[in-house]
Amino acid sequence: MRADIDLENIVSEFYSPLYRFAFSLARNEAQAGDLTQETFLILSKQHAQVRDVTKIKSWLFTTLRREFLRGLRSQSSHPEVELKPEHQDQLVSDSAASQAIDAATALEALTQIDESYRIVLELFYLADLSYKEIAASLDIPIGTVMSRLSRGKEQLRTVLAKTAPPEKISPSPQAKHLPS
Amino acid sequence: MNSDTAKEILSAYRSKDRDGADPTFREALKQMESDADLKKWFDDQLDLDRTIREKLAAIEPPADLQAKILARIRGEKLRRSSFALPPAWLAVAACLVLGGLALFFSTRSGGSERFQEFKSDALAMVSKQGGPDLDLETPNLTETQSFLREHKAPCYEALPSRLKLMETAGCRAFVWKDYPASLTCFRLPDGLFLHLVVINKAAMDNADIPAGMKAMGDWHVMFQQKNGMLLMWASQAPMDQLKQVLVALRGVQGVQREPKSEEVFSVRW
Repeated sequence: MRADIDLENIVSEFYSPLYRFAFSLARNEAQAGDLTQETFLILSKQHAQVRDVTKIKSWLFTTLRREFLRGLRSQSSHPEVELKPEHQDQLVSDSAASQAIDAATALEALTQIDESYRIVLELFYLADLSYKEIAASLDIPIGTVMSRLSRGKEQLRTVLAKTAPPEKISPSPQAKHLPS
Repeated sequence: MNSDTAKEILSAYRSKDRDGADPTFREALKQMESDADLKKWFDDQLDLDRTIREKLAAIEPPADLQAKILARIRGEKLRRSSFALPPAWLAVAACLVLGGLALFFSTRSGGSERFQEFKSDALAMVSKQGGPDLDLETPNLTETQSFLREHKAPCYEALPSRLKLMETAGCRAFVWKDYPASLTCFRLPDGLFLHLVVINKAAMDNADIPAGMKAMGDWHVMFQQKNGMLLMWASQAPMDQLKQVLVALRGVQGVQREPKSEEVFSVRW
């Protein structure tokens, strides 16, 4: 499918989830903002090459992740930036201050998930991509996406059970890892 | 399909409206109707997904992020159309700018290191190939002033009447050494630009700020102090043209013309 792209509408629709995804990767507000801007700038330069407008969403998240990884490779000597409490406060508006701790808890929990599961979970939760879109984005089989989602969610449930009230999240009694 | 396989498939399920029609999930969902344990697991799974999504949704992007993205996209379009030059001219222009900067930095003397650093940073910003990055692209001076005020950036409003009548290319709010600063770009009649960089004077650590206009390579630069602010004017327009615009600034005692030898080989501040 080929159609004209309304960049302003695309920015309006996707800048928030893209920023959240960028923040989950970079754990740094400024870098997340830069990554989000850079991703849309790349789209503005290359949108003529985007052949299927229905795939712009996954294109954006894939591009942002690629830019993040490219930045990591070129700045491999830079130390990782930890998510400090004072930075967490900047993540949310004052009215959402009470939710900030929850957001930080969720992000912190994600960092404790195995790397191969984590990126699949981030694309599932933050980008809201389907298993097919995740598979295309990461260039892995659909079955692998499903098994990683399953295992990743079990790990996430276990991690959150240690920090969240037990009545909200608890490890699944049937927790069992399937072979991938 | 056994229960474990169904769970693995349903781990990828998001919601009925998005995945309900996907045949991949159909069999697993059907099996759930006759498997109470699987149904309980699935409900718990959806609860977990909802909880995580709600928590992560509390991460809000900076309030000005959308505006910045749109400004950069518009700026990129504008630069591609307005600043397009033949490659040979780009190379010549780059050489002139770099040569001018090298000459300037190799011959500077006096003034605090902080002021020198500010000059170099500001000149590098405005002399960027293709034009400086702008947060807001607009021909309207009032809009740039509103934008800068909104973003808590210093804004110099006592401009000479000729400048107030000119179109702007846009503006940028930025931070230099923890001090808010601003850049406003005016379009001169011949297509060149006049850049105004404003920062709190305190950012310069009481450095002596030289008065008068100086030639630096192919740039003309002038500093002023107004109401506790430091103003830096920079343009590649001819000196005579800038005189017509800037000589009307209140408190400016004319525009100094450096001796030719100084202009070419030694720029003093």
